[in-house]
Amino acid sequence: MADPIALALREQFHSAEQQHETSTVGMWIFLITEVMLFGGLFTAFSVYRMSHPAAFDQGSADMEFWMGAVNTAVLICSSFCMAMAVHSAEKGKNGRLALFLILTILIGLVFLGIKFTEYYLHYHDQKLPGILFHDTSPDAAYVQMFFVFYFLMTGLHAFHMIIGEGILCATLFRTLLGSFSERYHTPVELAGLYWHFVDTVWVFLFAIFYIPGAHMK
Amino acid sequence: MSQSSVSVKTYAFTLIALLALTLLTSLLGLVDLGKFSFIAGVAIAAVKASLIACFFMHALYETKLIRVIMAGGVIWFLVMISLTLGDYLTRGWMPYPGK
Amino acid sequence: MATVTLVEPQSAPAQPRLNYLTEKTGLMSWLFTTDHKRIGLLYVVSITFFFFFGGFFALLMRLHLLLPQGWLFGHETYNKLFTMHGIIMVWFFLIPSIPNTLGNFVLPMMIGAKDLAFPKLNLLSWYIFMLGGMTTLYALVRGGVDTGWTFYTPFSTSYSTSFVITAAVGILIAGFSSILTGLNFIATVHRMRAPGLTWFRLPIFIWSTYATSLILVLATPVLAITLAMIGIERIFQVGIFDPALGGDPVLFQHMFWFYSHPAVYIMVLPAMAVVSEIIPTFSRKPIFGYKAVAFSSMAIAILGFLVWGHHMFVAGESAYAAMTFSFLSYMVAIPSAIKVFNWTATMYRGSVQLDTPMLYAIGFVALFTIGGMTGLFLAALGIDVHVTDTYFVIAHFHYIMVGGTVMAFLGGVHYWWPKISGKMYPEFLAKLSALTVFLGFNLTFFPQFILGYMGMPRRYAAYPPEFQVLNVLSTAGASILGVGYVVPLIYLIWAWKYGEPATDNPWRTTGLEWKTPSPPPKHNFEQTPVVTWKAYDFEAQKEELHLG
Repeated sequence: MADPIALALREQFHSAEQQHETSTVGMWIFLITEVMLFGGLFTAFSVYRMSHPAAFDQGSADMEFWMGAVNTAVLICSSFCMAMAVHSAEKGKNGRLALFLILTILIGLVFLGIKFTEYYLHYHDQKLPGILFHDTSPDAAYVQMFFVFYFLMTGLHAFHMIIGEGILCATLFRTLLGSFSERYHTPVELAGLYWHFVDTVWVFLFAIFYIPGAHMK
Repeated sequence: MSQSSVSVKTYAFTLIALLALTLLTSLLGLVDLGKFSFIAGVAIAAVKASLIACFFMHALYETKLIRVIMAGGVIWFLVMISLTLGDYLTRGWMPYPGK
Repeated sequence: MATVTLVEPQSAPAQPRLNYLTEKTGLMSWLFTTDHKRIGLLYVVSITFFFFFGGFFALLMRLHLLLPQGWLFGHETYNKLFTMHGIIMVWFFLIPSIPNTLGNFVLPMMIGAKDLAFPKLNLLSWYIFMLGGMTTLYALVRGGVDTGWTFYTPFSTSYSTSFVITAAVGILIAGFSSILTGLNFIATVHRMRAPGLTWFRLPIFIWSTYATSLILVLATPVLAITLAMIGIERIFQVGIFDPALGGDPVLFQHMFWFYSHPAVYIMVLPAMAVVSEIIPTFSRKPIFGYKAVAFSSMAIAILGFLVWGHHMFVAGESAYAAMTFSFLSYMVAIPSAIKVFNWTATMYRGSVQLDTPMLYAIGFVALFTIGGMTGLFLAALGIDVHVTDTYFVIAHFHYIMVGGTVMAFLGGVHYWWPKISGKMYPEFLAKLSALTVFLGFNLTFFPQFILGYMGMPRRYAAYPPEFQVLNVLSTAGASILGVGYVVPLIYLIWAWKYGEPATDNPWRTTGLEWKTPSPPPKHNFEQTPVVTWKAYDFEAQKEELHLG
């Protein structure tokens, strides 16, 4: 049977090592484009938060604080499982790799479940921006703006999570087919990098949306 | 091919540290720190993000190139946000309307 | 002295050697190719289409402005004309023009690689580009956009009744194509260089394209998210930028120019890259001050990110921010001037040959200098207030983008045409059209400097009668310029089939791309080259190149 590493080596590369390093570099560059994508939203959010601090705190007080905190812990656990999956791949333990991938996927789904429950509760509280939004406070326009950014940023994050779930499922599928070994597991590492990055974004989202108004409840 | 693999112990410590920091952020959120709750929240988030990047994402064990790329991304984001906020912060510093 | 150790296989091929064009044929072999050279050609075809499309709008506008009150279109149609001209030229011609065509074609060859790091991603990038282009064209066919290419809020989010969202989605999609190309180039330059090809042995083309790629990767995502925010504000009518809903239109300008000012350097850095190849070749001298030119590319890329606020001097940004941005804008002049001085010094006492690519390169240096100097006028706070939104600005950036980028693009196309097609183009006709382009360009845009200084505002479909003479001159120039662009299109297509066969190294120059057959084989080199010489080292390769 042909060597799996030789099969995985694309024709433009000289060695498996060059291919591995190039893929890693490519993934990191992709991640900094993601930093700038979310960065634009963080910049806009910061400008408005600075201009209307009271209204943004009021918006923050309407967050489901404990759901957000638990969700942060949930996502950190899924990131840990992902790190363990990469670790297992490096050791060539494909059984454990599959197990940790499944755990990562399931915990990610728990996160999304909690997130969409929150969305439903906001909808129920008439906090969905647009014609359904209802707020009687004098700062209503800016409270609504807080929610615009909340839905925009957490929505974009959730969208990344869903793509991540897809990537992880594909990686799991390839693991079960036996595509990875101690010597070739680059796709697992790249999927891991993406997943951890998405986790990092959430850490900041939790800090800017949930914390400032939490004491006002 | 794989760089010096990070030990399970390191991952476990990172996990515990991250969960502890999450708890700390949450508790801070319940106290009225005024303006500082936002700043403290973001600062702790930055620490957590570095932990994830360094250990879960192996940044500490990667080549110099990767670290430069990572630093570049963060610096560029900071350039964008600081020059933009710089405009808003210095509005009204001059004794003329609209300046 | 460095030795040249490029080993060519000795056995003579029994049948004509297959190259990247003949290796596979048929439409499918092009649509599913992952060869960087073929993808480069796919881009050539696409952006040529967009160039003439956008140019057609420009010609219509110039015709309309022959009479002070205008005579061809209503005001609303005129608004759509300049908007679509801007959108198509900026995102579907200028930004991909040099990196995605010539860059795609020669970058891997220059570094002795078989292909880019991610060939499939490269093909995907072309499909994404075409999808974005088609979406934008769809917006045009349905009725066009009238916001100007800058999409300023709140007009774009709340008042315009044209197809803003469709066009924005088209640009957003095309943006992802830029990101993928930039990512691919960066990874390629870092990880795919031939053995012995250290950073300071790289041709300047690689340095400048690398700098461009950094901007593509760092700036384009911000454009994507800004356009997405416009779309969301427009669809849901929630406050993001519209002041009536609590938003801040100046924030939109910050975010838009955070991308769009660096985007100017996305357009001009590759042009500098091309010129830095042409000038040493036709002066038979290594580029003067290699490191200074290389680092100035990086400096332009970095400083280019710190100056965006100079588009907003009259938009209400704080006086301190305006001062900072003005100062930083002056700083960009330093690396730009370093380049101009070093190109000039390269030509000084060289054996200068005025072949077509060199004519374009010299034209570039002249026009870029005028464009750059007038940029300093605009970076000055006082003068900018006077000429904001006038034809002075229009003339300034056309000197950079058309006088700079398009000239360099044409120069580069002629320079590498023998390598791309394996055929020579008709030299006399080419020189004639290079001259036509130069004259036509200056006649079109120099009067606009004067018009702008006298106070003619941009984006108006009519003007006071005293401006008519200069406007007629400008329109006359535009017609000449149009001819200057159509003629090369015709003879280059002609030369593809009927031109004289080109040798492997028709310009007798040093780059790695010239050490492989014209047209190159599928994987560029028969054997991976080992590089032991510096870039542009004519002295070391004297014998191989049959120089004096």
